[in-house]
Amino acid sequence: MPNLFQLVLQIAVILVAARVVGIVFQKIHQPQVMGEMVAGILLGPSLLGWVAPQLSAALFPPASLGYLSALSQVGLVLFMFLVGLALNPKDLDNSGHAAVLTSHVGIVAPFVLGSILALYLYPRLSDDSVTFTGFALFMGAAMSITAFPVLARILAERHLLRTRLGTMAITCAAVDDVTGWYILAYIVVLVRAGHAARPLWVTIGGSLVYIFAMLFGVRRWLPYFERYHQRRKRLSENVLAMLVLLVLASSLVTEWLGIHLLFGAFLMGTIMPKEAPFVRYLLHQFESLTIVLLLPMFFAFTGLRARIGVGGNSRIWLYTALVIVVAIAGKLGGSMVAARMAGTPWREAAAIGILMNTRGLMQLVILNIGLDIGVISPALFSIMVLMALVTTFMTTPLLEWVYPARLRAAQPDDLAEQDVA
Amino acid sequence: MGVPLAGLLGILEAGRSIAAPMSVGGDWVLEVDPAACPSGIARLRQPALNIVQSGADALVTLNDGRAAQMPATIAGAVLTSTALRADIAGKPSQRILTGTLQLDGCAPLAFRATRQEPVRKSGD
Repeated sequence: MPNLFQLVLQIAVILVAARVVGIVFQKIHQPQVMGEMVAGILLGPSLLGWVAPQLSAALFPPASLGYLSALSQVGLVLFMFLVGLALNPKDLDNSGHAAVLTSHVGIVAPFVLGSILALYLYPRLSDDSVTFTGFALFMGAAMSITAFPVLARILAERHLLRTRLGTMAITCAAVDDVTGWYILAYIVVLVRAGHAARPLWVTIGGSLVYIFAMLFGVRRWLPYFERYHQRRKRLSENVLAMLVLLVLASSLVTEWLGIHLLFGAFLMGTIMPKEAPFVRYLLHQFESLTIVLLLPMFFAFTGLRARIGVGGNSRIWLYTALVIVVAIAGKLGGSMVAARMAGTPWREAAAIGILMNTRGLMQLVILNIGLDIGVISPALFSIMVLMALVTTFMTTPLLEWVYPARLRAAQPDDLAEQDVA
Repeated sequence: MGVPLAGLLGILEAGRSIAAPMSVGGDWVLEVDPAACPSGIARLRQPALNIVQSGADALVTLNDGRAAQMPATIAGAVLTSTALRADIAGKPSQRILTGTLQLDGCAPLAFRATRQEPVRKSGD
């Protein structure tokens, strides 16, 4: 049985830290979620455990973290459903050549650079229970991800969501996320093969059957929810519960198949009907609980696993610098060059590269999966968490420098009349 | 797409020849002669060793109630820390440690350790 007093106290402390640091970060023109991520890190061994080890041990004893982990996983399931829900294939249809080229290069360049970096890091930060193939593919996937939700929030806060730049960036991020998650699903299967509860053919065959059933079976039935919402302008509690059950069932199937429960939630979100009022209603229903309560727990759980700068030596800082440089060169550089090659003006191409370099909490999700399945070591996890924080933090000031407000105001808001969900 | 894919395959092929340090991370169940150091062994709770590994560096925690942590290094097939020296043997999924452990007030104690759960990793 969990120690309820301790669990509630942990949640309260996490909420206070997330809100306070989030507000501080908003004051310096950073997205609130950036502050929440930093708050999670500050509650772990990187700060609290370092300056007040006894308080840290009393507040977050290792034995109590299982409950915090479980709650944060529930939050992630809902969050991944919302991420999938917010993705609209129609945006991709209207994206054009530039967005397609940028998103593809924005995945391939960091993936290949991440794999090259793996040649150097594998003998230094991994061990022989992980094969080089699994390690390199994971590094590639982790380097290529873009934080679709954080990006959407930055664009909205900067009034860029409905501009040509914003539409292109959000389209590229959507393509990156979908591609990145399917690559990651493959890597999870690859890494878990050989010791999974089910044979590999069951995982692969079952996954194909599951995806086919979702796309051609469940998807046809989902417009029921949309029609219900159209008629009554809301969903009853029973209908909402049915929807949550579908998300949970999809997550359970992918977890049983040996992929990961988050893929099931993500796929359920992507196949949901995309009528804007219906999507907005569902986001409104789920976002408050997920973003205010459950995601900060995930950030804290991540922070408790990361030991940034603790017991590290100069080599660790060298590896950290290398990872950050390669991540930025691959994602920012790759996306910028691709956008320029597709005919986008330099300044706008640079802005797209900066936006695509935002890794945010999607990176933290992937890194936690990597640590859970053992494909990355605790030290590499901490390095990659720091990289995620740095690349997310640099987005707003760099964007302001390269693409200042006066230029944004000058750009014709040619999409202003469209309903961008 | 062909060039990056070929490049990626080349990287994966090149990486197959790179050796990583032997895996010792996880919880270890210790087998020792109980008569060798009765007071020290009485304090141990199984799994008696927890090792967190990142490359050739590791952090060893002895489950003796005090949870003292010792930095350790892996060089070849040998794990070394201030109070422990062990030879590493076996495949990653069936790894064993054999060596000596220094407990307070006792002479170095010979031990054999097996990883509690098979490590949940693999690859190709």
